[in-house]
Amino acid sequence: MDGIKTDKLESSLLIVILDTNPVWWGKKKIAQDPMTLSHCVDCLTVLANSHLMVSHNNKLAVIAAHTDISTFLYPSSQPARPDIFKLPDDGQYEVFNSVESQLRTQLKTLIEADKAQVDYMEEQSSDSLLAGAMCMALCYIHRLEKECPIGESLTARILILKGSDDCPSQYMNFMNAVFTAQKQNVVIDACILDSESGLLQQACDITGGTYLNIPQAQGLLQYLLWVFLPDPSSRSKMALPPRAQVDYRAACFCHRNLIEIGYVCSVCLSIYCSFSPICSTCQTTFKIIGPQKLVKKKIKKP
Amino acid sequence: MADDDDKGYRWETEYEKTWEELQEDESGSLQASVNDILHRAKRRQLLEKVTNVRLGMMRHLFVVIDFSLAMADQDLKPTRHLATLKLLEYFVEEYFDQNPISQLGIIISLNKRAEKITELGGNPRRHIKALQDLTSRACQGEISLQNSLELALSTLRHMPSHASREVLFLMGSLTTCDPGDVRETVKSMVEANVRCSVIGLSAEVRLCKTLAQHTGGSYGVIIDESHFKDLLGQQVTPPPASSQTESSLIKMGFPHHALVGDKDKEEKPSMCMCHLDSGTAQGFSTSGYFCPQCKSKYCELPIECRACGLTLVSAPHLARSYHHLFPPDSFRELLTSDIIADGPVCCYACQVEILDPHVYTCDKCERHFCLDCDLFTHEVLHSCPGCASSRSLQTVQAGL
Repeated sequence: MDGIKTDKLESSLLIVILDTNPVWWGKKKIAQDPMTLSHCVDCLTVLANSHLMVSHNNKLAVIAAHTDISTFLYPSSQPARPDIFKLPDDGQYEVFNSVESQLRTQLKTLIEADKAQVDYMEEQSSDSLLAGAMCMALCYIHRLEKECPIGESLTARILILKGSDDCPSQYMNFMNAVFTAQKQNVVIDACILDSESGLLQQACDITGGTYLNIPQAQGLLQYLLWVFLPDPSSRSKMALPPRAQVDYRAACFCHRNLIEIGYVCSVCLSIYCSFSPICSTCQTTFKIIGPQKLVKKKIKKP
Repeated sequence: MADDDDKGYRWETEYEKTWEELQEDESGSLQASVNDILHRAKRRQLLEKVTNVRLGMMRHLFVVIDFSLAMADQDLKPTRHLATLKLLEYFVEEYFDQNPISQLGIIISLNKRAEKITELGGNPRRHIKALQDLTSRACQGEISLQNSLELALSTLRHMPSHASREVLFLMGSLTTCDPGDVRETVKSMVEANVRCSVIGLSAEVRLCKTLAQHTGGSYGVIIDESHFKDLLGQQVTPPPASSQTESSLIKMGFPHHALVGDKDKEEKPSMCMCHLDSGTAQGFSTSGYFCPQCKSKYCELPIECRACGLTLVSAPHLARSYHHLFPPDSFRELLTSDIIADGPVCCYACQVEILDPHVYTCDKCERHFCLDCDLFTHEVLHSCPGCASSRSLQTVQAGL
């Protein structure tokens, strides 16, 4: 980003994961909320274009996290069809045009595929499969880093735009993705449109990203441009919303309660809120008198 | 170890023409061919990984570093001694990344004695600091295998029976100077259920091989520095638990992190337990993790509460280990030409067009992946991107 440092070519990759959960967006529509998917996509396009405008080397990808699939909206794997993709006639920068048209066509395909299935489908879930989209984003980053020519450095970050609920059954996949991001130095930012997400709070805290639950939906674009457009290296110089307190308490596997003191199976690390003689996850039988005595023994350190 | 014995030594096997595998590409470069061989070797390694065995998740490992004169040898650059310490720093970091609730200790052996540098503990920074301090220490005399083992055993013996006990030897010397019969010590290691692995820096030593064999550990002799790194890397993943390891439920605390700035609560600053003895003002604040049982304060996790002995961890620490327990299934190799598709075959995860004759597919979600993504998902990510974005497969995973 710094024009002065010309000795090394730096490019920044922004991957936006857009939550396109039909149930959540549908509810918004019914409630006559000003926040609609098309408004959100408009804001996203502006953010995307601004990011591409910051530097010529900047790269972009957009992934949709849907209720039962994740798919790339931009760049799409389908070859551009000449009847849809035509060059802009008003002198608009071609990349902007291709971002917008690909985003819209891909989103349309996604929604139409949903529409075709709607008659013989069971009830749609109100949570999105975020972990899948995150895994794809990380694989994409891995690929671009490999393709990156020598002498050029690529910094990547992921921005998650999410409205629907957390999906508890994805916990493991989600955490795997977060730890991978931490290892690869990928920052995860989250922009929450509705209810707080405990999982994303942890993800942002672990990777050093910004977590923001936007107070006003109409101002989405402004929040996106002010908080999420600057790349992480320049954020320290800005007055951003303070870090939220993150709850790192564990949920027990038996009742899904958040607990402060729990029992952990030494074989499979399942967490229980009370002592039980058999682990329900791995069927191991435990020695009953074990823990108390053993813990005392271990304190013999200086 | 067992099949190694059957194979015998490399120099006894038939003559191999290893260079015939390499083929030049159009531009006359060997790089593509070399990369291809490397990738396939990695994939083979992944397939060989045994699944569905019980792992010792809570590890107690002593690393014994040889500090004898043999370590001053310059075959590793700059010296064996410095190269080993450098690699160990990386090892310690990886070890705690992969085994967040495990402990590690460091022992050095020189002048026929063994000396404990760090006690068993779960704080990577303390060990790395100790390793850095060791770089200025000179290598002297001979090592004593027996004394080092006895010293490690004296601590490991008291570790709880549900934890795995391990010793990792990094040995540059070809000799050992022992006060008694070292074979007796090996026997007592077997009895105490301590798994001993040895990485030799010079040549194979019969005694080390027996030690590793009898205690169920692994023995390897390095070829060069990158091989050394590989061998150390193999020690990072938790080993299968021995049959004598008991299982139990361990009581653990998940402390709440109190941040600075809870003005309404009128909290008074306090000293944290980890810096209590340091005599500095470090750790004196209102923020920290409070033990849910006795309310003593710590500035980082995981740690064992000094006051009440409760193991304090956070949920992500446990989650970091889950991928060892629930690894993704390995992908099946298919020929690209066999796939019926209307367009070019693209990798589901990274969108790259697959030009390689082979494509990899997950049996569960039936998505296609490229070789790079196959390796990346199994080595780093530990989740299949296809399965993670399929609703029907989520319920299967949750039921585990």
